[in-house]
Amino acid sequence: MTRFVARRLVIAVVQVAAITIVVFLLIRALPADPVATRVGFNASPDVYRKAKADLGLDRSTLSQLGTYLGGSGTQRGLLAGNLGTSWASGSTVASEIGDALPITLELISLSFLLAGAIAIPLGMRTARRPGKALDKAVFGYGLFAGAAPEFWWGLMLVFVFYFKLGWAPAPLGRLSPQLQAPTQRTGAILIDSLLAGRLDAFWDGLRHLILPVITLAFILSGPIMKMVRQSMTRVLGSDFVLYAQAAGLPPRQVSRSTLRAAFGPVLTLTSILYGFMLGGAVLVESVFSLGGLGQYSVKSVLEFNYPSIQGVVLVITVLSLVIYLVLDVLLALLDPRARHR
Amino acid sequence: MRRLSILAGATAVLAASAVLTAPTRAAAAAGEITVLAEDIPAGLDYDGPSAAIPTSQTGMVNLMEPLVYYKTKPANSEGIGLLSFGFADANFEGRLAESWTYDPKTFTWTFKLRKGVKGCGGAAFNADDVVYTFARAKSVSGAAPIGWFLSNVASIANFTPDVLGADKAKAAEAQKLGDEVKKIDDFTVAIKQSAPNKLFLPVLTIFGLGIFDKESMEKNKTATDPWSHEYANNTNVPSFGPYCLDKWTKNSEFVVKGNTDYYRGAPKVTRVVYRKVPQSSNRLAAVQRGEAQLVERLTPKEFDSVRKAKGVKVAGVIGNENLFVHMNFKTPPFDNVKVRQAVAYALDYKKIIANGYFGQATKSKSPIPSSYPGFSVSKNQYDTNIEKAKTLLKEAGYKDKGDILLSYVSEKQSILLPIATQIKADLAKVGIKVKLDPLPQTQYGDRQLVKKDLQFALNDQEKPIGVDAGYATLLFFVSSEKGGLNNMVNYSNPKVDDLFAKVKNEADDKIRNTELAEIQDQLMADLAWLPVVELKTQWAFSDKLTGLAWHPDSSIRWNDLKYAG
Amino acid sequence: MTATAPTVGHPKRPRRLIAAARRDPLLTIGLCIVALSIFLALFGTLIAPKSPTEPTGAPSEHPSLSHWMGTDASGLDVFSQVISAPRTDVVLAVSAALVSSVLGTLIGLTAGYFRTWWAEVVMRISDVLQAFPVFILGMMLVALSGRNTGNLIVALSLLYTPIFIRLTRAEVLTQRNRSYVESARAMGNSEWKIAFRHVLPNSLAPSLIQLSVTVGFGILLTAGLSYVGAGVRPPTPEWGLMISSSANQLILGEWWPSVFPGLAISLTVFGFAAVGNAIERRVGG
Repeated sequence: MTRFVARRLVIAVVQVAAITIVVFLLIRALPADPVATRVGFNASPDVYRKAKADLGLDRSTLSQLGTYLGGSGTQRGLLAGNLGTSWASGSTVASEIGDALPITLELISLSFLLAGAIAIPLGMRTARRPGKALDKAVFGYGLFAGAAPEFWWGLMLVFVFYFKLGWAPAPLGRLSPQLQAPTQRTGAILIDSLLAGRLDAFWDGLRHLILPVITLAFILSGPIMKMVRQSMTRVLGSDFVLYAQAAGLPPRQVSRSTLRAAFGPVLTLTSILYGFMLGGAVLVESVFSLGGLGQYSVKSVLEFNYPSIQGVVLVITVLSLVIYLVLDVLLALLDPRARHR
Repeated sequence: MRRLSILAGATAVLAASAVLTAPTRAAAAAGEITVLAEDIPAGLDYDGPSAAIPTSQTGMVNLMEPLVYYKTKPANSEGIGLLSFGFADANFEGRLAESWTYDPKTFTWTFKLRKGVKGCGGAAFNADDVVYTFARAKSVSGAAPIGWFLSNVASIANFTPDVLGADKAKAAEAQKLGDEVKKIDDFTVAIKQSAPNKLFLPVLTIFGLGIFDKESMEKNKTATDPWSHEYANNTNVPSFGPYCLDKWTKNSEFVVKGNTDYYRGAPKVTRVVYRKVPQSSNRLAAVQRGEAQLVERLTPKEFDSVRKAKGVKVAGVIGNENLFVHMNFKTPPFDNVKVRQAVAYALDYKKIIANGYFGQATKSKSPIPSSYPGFSVSKNQYDTNIEKAKTLLKEAGYKDKGDILLSYVSEKQSILLPIATQIKADLAKVGIKVKLDPLPQTQYGDRQLVKKDLQFALNDQEKPIGVDAGYATLLFFVSSEKGGLNNMVNYSNPKVDDLFAKVKNEADDKIRNTELAEIQDQLMADLAWLPVVELKTQWAFSDKLTGLAWHPDSSIRWNDLKYAG
Repeated sequence: MTATAPTVGHPKRPRRLIAAARRDPLLTIGLCIVALSIFLALFGTLIAPKSPTEPTGAPSEHPSLSHWMGTDASGLDVFSQVISAPRTDVVLAVSAALVSSVLGTLIGLTAGYFRTWWAEVVMRISDVLQAFPVFILGMMLVALSGRNTGNLIVALSLLYTPIFIRLTRAEVLTQRNRSYVESARAMGNSEWKIAFRHVLPNSLAPSLIQLSVTVGFGILLTAGLSYVGAGVRPPTPEWGLMISSSANQLILGEWWPSVFPGLAISLTVFGFAAVGNAIERRVGG
């Protein structure tokens, strides 16, 4: 086990190094740089030259890469854990990502919880009684949910529940404008408001999260449900379940082992979707103006903000790879055969 | 299992409905307003990387105080306050400077500074703050040297391009402030020009020369950042303005409180929450439902939709915003003046005003904003005339290759796409086929200002920040060889260059205006830029909010406002 | 494409597919939608009642007899745009699905059959590609090479190839230990020949199931990329672009320019998913 994890870690480091360099070169190949936007009013050649030199863009790509990785002078580089400074705002990329990441994590975690709460019981139930009306209805729902462009559904929900009915709060972010935000600790509004003992902020935050979470959960529940049903069906038909039932084991015990056996594929799918959503939730984030990691990354690309693009790609890739690694370890632990290796 | 899923479903529905229908919180307290814009300040340092972003400027002008400012004029018919533009002393009022004198022999301005002015941290204002501000500008240590640039435009002595020289030692020497900005005593400062230049007072009103509170700035300097750029850009900008920063979460919200010590009296709106809401439709919804008191930069259509709504007012002013079509002088077919003129005749201006701006625009008569000193109606005008356009194209020997790209900033698509589509259809009628080419702002800026290779572009964001036709000419139309700065279409006409050389140091207003009028005639004859329409800068706001005034940077001074909420 | 799909692996005649469709209403609906979308991809622009790229009415007209789905803010006819859009959306998604399935299957086959360093490298590169944030990659590729259909196909293919690599490799891994591989080897076939002649046909099922689903993903992602400003150029009729440029109008009560393209996307993706599902049940996924 330890060897397996160690090997995967080494590979992950190589992957991250490769992606860092590839992204670095890819960005430098982009057809524009942000110097013009910085000098805005006054693009005289002198000023432009100076601004370009300030960003290090006048040097060779290789030397830029060296500075990015190893730093220069008092400035630390990536190898020392410094993601650099945003060219658009002058803040550190780490602090900007630190603000945006918890927003996305909160949004997608809640969405996965809701999607799971709907999909797992329904999927299990339909697997036990295939062909019944509920099975067909659920099957149709699954197909339909997977077919929906999430930003469109988000827009429709906003249109109906905010513009028409006035039930939902305006899609203006995570809290009502007049409400003082709770002291930032984790960056997740629900947790922070509870930590600060601010029930008003908690409810307000929850109200603002409902529509985006429903939108995402709607999309996510389709594939999860399908996977639950599929793997349950397979496990229910497998020898060990049939044997256990024949041997007269109590149904609850059979259920438990079935669940565990069916858990693997569902877990795999969920973590792949989770990794995808780190950057892929951008459409829902922007419909509801949540300002998460996805929106940050899109903004960075539109601004040709090299350090931010680089930082956000790195963070998302590393997080995804970590999730996959944890997944592999979990799967190995879940599989009884792995213990004897 | 069935029970479980039903239970889960029921709980979710219950929770959702309970939370959705929970009562909304009480309305904002009197004197507190929420303002929504597409972004909030990304940085507060005017020499920093984000000073060109309008919302960053809004932050700066509300926290910082200038030396002098334009006097106010009676409001227009829509109730928007105006400023008295010009160059005479009578156009200006003292802010941090109480009064000033000018010595035409030595080109020296002597400012008597106001006593008893206090900043947010309690720091007292004096001559050191003014000297610090100009010294910092001359250091060109920030990402984009706007303070130096404005001083240079105003001919302040020794603020020359030497500060940017490639020779580091020489540049370092040039970056040190000499006695061109001199402290006479604690409340007197003298500023010397290298030549007479009318732009001196106008430039001092611009956000890029707001006065810093030296004491607080220096507390936050570091060894590598002696001018506290990092602090001003990311934490706070200490000055003597009407508002003090309360809370600033980048990319989300910017909250200020009234400066109770403000020398012109504490602001009537005591707290402002400036919030980022990227989608204009969401800003519109919020002002309609009373969740915000003032919203900026909606689309013309959205403004139009709430013009008659209850509780909401829409008002605006034709200030300095224009819609231009740029045609590149170095790129065929637009290197031919007849093709440019054909385009001007082909456009359906009435439709653009009606469908693109819902009537809130007028046809431009010059590339210079009509509210600016020096503006004149050009002799050369172009009205829709398809036949004339076709004839001109024939004379030019134009052959359509179908490869013309009409570029515009994709972030402004909800305003520009309908207009671009209209222009595309108009040009198709005379036999010019174009494709639309939306580009992200950054890429557009790069191609416009640096590469200067945009062939054909639609642009509504070029407004000269110095309020003067001469400044606009220098910025946009003087050839690059003669010092033109943002001459994005590679326009070069010796006649315009020569006229501008005269305008630059002309002291007599009448002669200067005649020369400027000649320039504008020439610009329209050449179609250096094709000005399409002058458009209204508009706001939608609560009908309990009064006192809105337009300033050339389009940033609302929250101190102008009164809220009876 | 879909009609021939089940013939591989488990031979079935098209006639039997029709019979199956009769018994399976979902498949029938799916096939109808897929057929319609392919028809519109080919002939949509020809049968459109108005030009889909030029103003043919006043801006923001309600749906009426002359404009069945109204007009958008630029005065373009929404109905004509909706039925012309498959030329972009469906063609793009189908091409990307085909390119990535062919590439992915071939790479997956080699990575699964020849268990050398190559397999490890391929899989780890796939990891990285899949971990790479989709929208950033899409936007950067489009910024690098311009907003046109060809570049979007390349971007989408790059994103979807790893899925096919994974699926094929997993299947190949189970097939390569089967006895028919042993027999083929015993008869003196070369390894390459065994891989392509024998293992490949038997490992196609998962990719075929995935193919139809991928078309759906492709349509959704194309629309999503348009929404963040990295799609095709306006006024090319494209559903996502229509939604993104009309989303602002929803609050003004103009629901028609964004509701209809959204329905069109949902319906099309649903159709491809339904067909994929039916194939899956028959092929036995």
